[in-house]
Amino acid sequence: MDKTASQVEWKKGSAELLILSLVEARPRHGYEISKLIEQRSGGTVRFHVASLYPLLYRLERRGWLLGRWVEKNGQRRRRYYRLTRQGRKVLASQLRGWQEFVAGINRITEAENA
Amino acid sequence: MPDWKPEILRRLAPLKLSPAREGEIAEEIAQHLDDQYEELLADGHSADSAFRASLDELKDEDLLARNLWSVESDLYREPIALGNSSSNWFAGILQDIRYAFRMMRKSPGFTAVAILTLALGIGANTAIFTMMNGLMLHTLPVRDPGQLVEILHHYPDDPEPGFNGFSWDAYQTMRDGNHVLSDLIIGSLNNYVVGGPALESQTVFGGNVGGTYFETLGVQPAIGRLIGPQDAMDSSPVAVVSWSFWKSRFNLNPAIIGQKVTASDTPVTIIGVTQRGFYGLSNQAQQDIWLPYSLGHRALGDFAVALLGRLKSGVTIPQARAELATLFKTANDRPNANPFMRQMELRIVPAGNGVSTPVTQMLSTPLTVLMATVGLLLLLACANLAGLLLARGAARQHELAVRVCLGAARARLLRQTLTESLLLSLIGSAVGIFLAYFAADRLIRLFASGRFMMGLPVHFDVLKQPDARVLIFTAAIALLTGLLCGAAPAMSASNAMPASALLPGSKIGETKRQRLFGKGLVAAQVAISLVLVSLAGLFVGYLAQLRNNLGFERNNLLLVTLDFAKSGYNAAQFSRLSQELVMRLNAIPGVTSATFSEMSPMEGPGAASFAAADGHPDKTTAVWMNYIAPSYFETYLTPFLAGRDFSARDQAGSRVAIINESAARNCFGNENPIGRHITPSHITMTEGEKTFEIVGIVGDAKYKDLNQPAPPTIYADLIQEGFIGSQLAIRTRIDPGGLAGAVRQTEATVLKSVPIVRMMEMNQQIDSSIVPQRLFAALSAGLGALGALLAVIGLYGLLAYTVVWRTHEIGVRIALGAAATDVMRIVLRDALWMVCVGLAIGAPLAFWGKRLAASLIPDLPVASPLPIVLAVAIMIAVGLIAAYLPARRAMRVDPMVALRYE
Repeated sequence: MDKTASQVEWKKGSAELLILSLVEARPRHGYEISKLIEQRSGGTVRFHVASLYPLLYRLERRGWLLGRWVEKNGQRRRRYYRLTRQGRKVLASQLRGWQEFVAGINRITEAENA
Repeated sequence: MPDWKPEILRRLAPLKLSPAREGEIAEEIAQHLDDQYEELLADGHSADSAFRASLDELKDEDLLARNLWSVESDLYREPIALGNSSSNWFAGILQDIRYAFRMMRKSPGFTAVAILTLALGIGANTAIFTMMNGLMLHTLPVRDPGQLVEILHHYPDDPEPGFNGFSWDAYQTMRDGNHVLSDLIIGSLNNYVVGGPALESQTVFGGNVGGTYFETLGVQPAIGRLIGPQDAMDSSPVAVVSWSFWKSRFNLNPAIIGQKVTASDTPVTIIGVTQRGFYGLSNQAQQDIWLPYSLGHRALGDFAVALLGRLKSGVTIPQARAELATLFKTANDRPNANPFMRQMELRIVPAGNGVSTPVTQMLSTPLTVLMATVGLLLLLACANLAGLLLARGAARQHELAVRVCLGAARARLLRQTLTESLLLSLIGSAVGIFLAYFAADRLIRLFASGRFMMGLPVHFDVLKQPDARVLIFTAAIALLTGLLCGAAPAMSASNAMPASALLPGSKIGETKRQRLFGKGLVAAQVAISLVLVSLAGLFVGYLAQLRNNLGFERNNLLLVTLDFAKSGYNAAQFSRLSQELVMRLNAIPGVTSATFSEMSPMEGPGAASFAAADGHPDKTTAVWMNYIAPSYFETYLTPFLAGRDFSARDQAGSRVAIINESAARNCFGNENPIGRHITPSHITMTEGEKTFEIVGIVGDAKYKDLNQPAPPTIYADLIQEGFIGSQLAIRTRIDPGGLAGAVRQTEATVLKSVPIVRMMEMNQQIDSSIVPQRLFAALSAGLGALGALLAVIGLYGLLAYTVVWRTHEIGVRIALGAAATDVMRIVLRDALWMVCVGLAIGAPLAFWGKRLAASLIPDLPVASPLPIVLAVAIMIAVGLIAAYLPARRAMRVDPMVALRYE
């Protein structure tokens, strides 16, 4: 598997987890979410618009996120997404699963490379 | 800042989202792109490169729509109306109904046509279904009606249901020998004149019943007791009456028990009343009195008992038939049995809906075919109305678009449009039920005028009473009709394209697909009309065929039925007086000849027999018999093919007969029958054998049924046989009606003590024998005409609308030099194209319908392509008629006006 292809696969599996964890601390709008993902991954993970928003709407549909239009003085209104109670539970369980998965992978690769 | 929204909206378009949702997504994504663009500019990108990089976020044309598809497809929410909770789906229904009523009031012409169309379609269906329901679907109010079967016998290959009448011996053999029936009961249908000291005489329907009749049917007494085995064994002079008889004649007075009444001159004592609601074995001939089947009845011979069986559980009708047929044969093979019955075959039919009566036998098939035909008519009405609603809906696109813009959900528009069509069909049904009641009444009266109905105290009321089943049927077809009519316009309304529809001068949002659908509806109407019109042609042709090729001349023939019963004349007196009467009648100016016979054609009854010709002792042929006086064939104008007529000389000599062509062919093959002998054995209701010398051969003529081929017939000499013929036939040169007075006078002079029972023209007698066929032809012609009319309306509506819609285009064409004829050609081509597609679809359907009808009605002239060819011609004419006005309008379009149009 070349680099790009494997990145696509990882992204698919982790996209929901990334978004949920980014809005855990405070509500954020779509552009902010995409920028944060790009910055924090050092440019290795990027979501373009055609994928990001459908994903946000999907999470909202599932009741994990709640989107709200917020108007601030002197600015255009923006849609902010915050984590719902259900979303919080999902995030916790996904995080646990992810950590276990990574730990498992690490144990295997470390053992092989030792 | 670039405007991203058009790019985004273009990508969202395939999703067909609600405008509100579409706007929301576009706003959010546009904002994202704005942010990105600004950031890129701030990073030092040129405007062009920043624009391209931002736009690149949207990736491929269809990626956004693809990713959104599964998320958005079910995210379809009713907008919340102010002050209303969106969770209550029914909240807006009243509003929809009010709105629908307002729309209907706004265009009263359209509403009237729509309601009338539906009322005719639904009314016709309800009327026919009401009759079918009364005739064929009502189950008898007895225990387990589904297990009841009627036992009939019939001639081999006879399509008629048969006759329920068996000898006592056959009854006993079948009752005691079978393993398929839990009971075999005797229950006949008879007329009684019931009267008594405190009871005015009245003819009522009733029956002679066996001792187990009531027990097997599970009928309980309301008061008193019912007829039991002992009553039948003792032939007790007792009677049981129905609850309705008790109510109408005795006002529910319990003193009815023990009352002495007479039932057709037999004194009987009423011992009980049946439970409320029980009316015997037939839905049409409701019975009011039952007498025990007595020993005396057994002497009636071969038709002494009418039988009804109750199948054991798990036994099928074919199984029952197999066993009972064997037993029936055993009984008939006994030496003392009537050999005539040996020819008969057994038929077992379900009787849960009542035993077969002349009414059921006569009406079942026509009603089934009619039901299918009116079903087609309703479908046509639906297509018609759907087309009209669609065209009107297109005219309302602007209004609908405004509503969408103001936040109306598409689902809501869909519901509102459907509410309108459902309301139309509901009102149409109400009018239809009203029409159906009178139509069913009228139809029944017409049916009842047929010859089989005369004198039968048939309860036709049951045939026209709409019951719960009829109401459910009507409600169901009303709902179906509403949905069928409304579905297409509703879909089209809910797809209102706000952006395009709101543009000034827009083509009000009608898509090519919608136009094609509208044309398809018209083609479907043409196809259905073609089927209806060709079926109408078929049935009208059938009627004409029935009325002709009779083998005798039906015009200018007067028939007089005489009642010799109380005259006291013997055969010799009859012979002398009848000859005198014929002589005097012949002297009346205008009369060409007169004759007597035992039966006249199409009178109703007949005598049948099996005949053997000399030289062919092993071969018997089923033949019909008639007894006639000299000049019979001269009067009826049936041609002599060979030999001679009866004459006075025959009376002293050996028995002579004249046979028809079919009898000659069937009995003698290619041999010359003149001078040969023929022996009919066991003529119906008589026992003896008679051998006749054949003196003449005549052409074939219809005997009893117009819809059967002319049967082999033997004509014997009435005078020679010493019979009294009650049928007098008079051939006239002028209208026979004008001679009635003179005939009456002459008859009264010669036959002083013989009253005239009936006087009618042959044509009337023929018509009364084919009432169902006549009605059927008239109804199908009416339905065909209605179908064609609906097709005209549908086609006209669409074309007129198209011309209005294309006024601008037509104006441009004329301005560019198109001639008026070119414009006309455009409209006509459109019309003919739709008609041709309709014909292409309809022709195979019509052929199929013809075959289906032929499988139900024997002798239908299906070979002739004339009805379909005629129907095709009519539909093309219909197309041209419908196109005429719109085409003329198109030709008169003024280009200057048209270009300013809109």
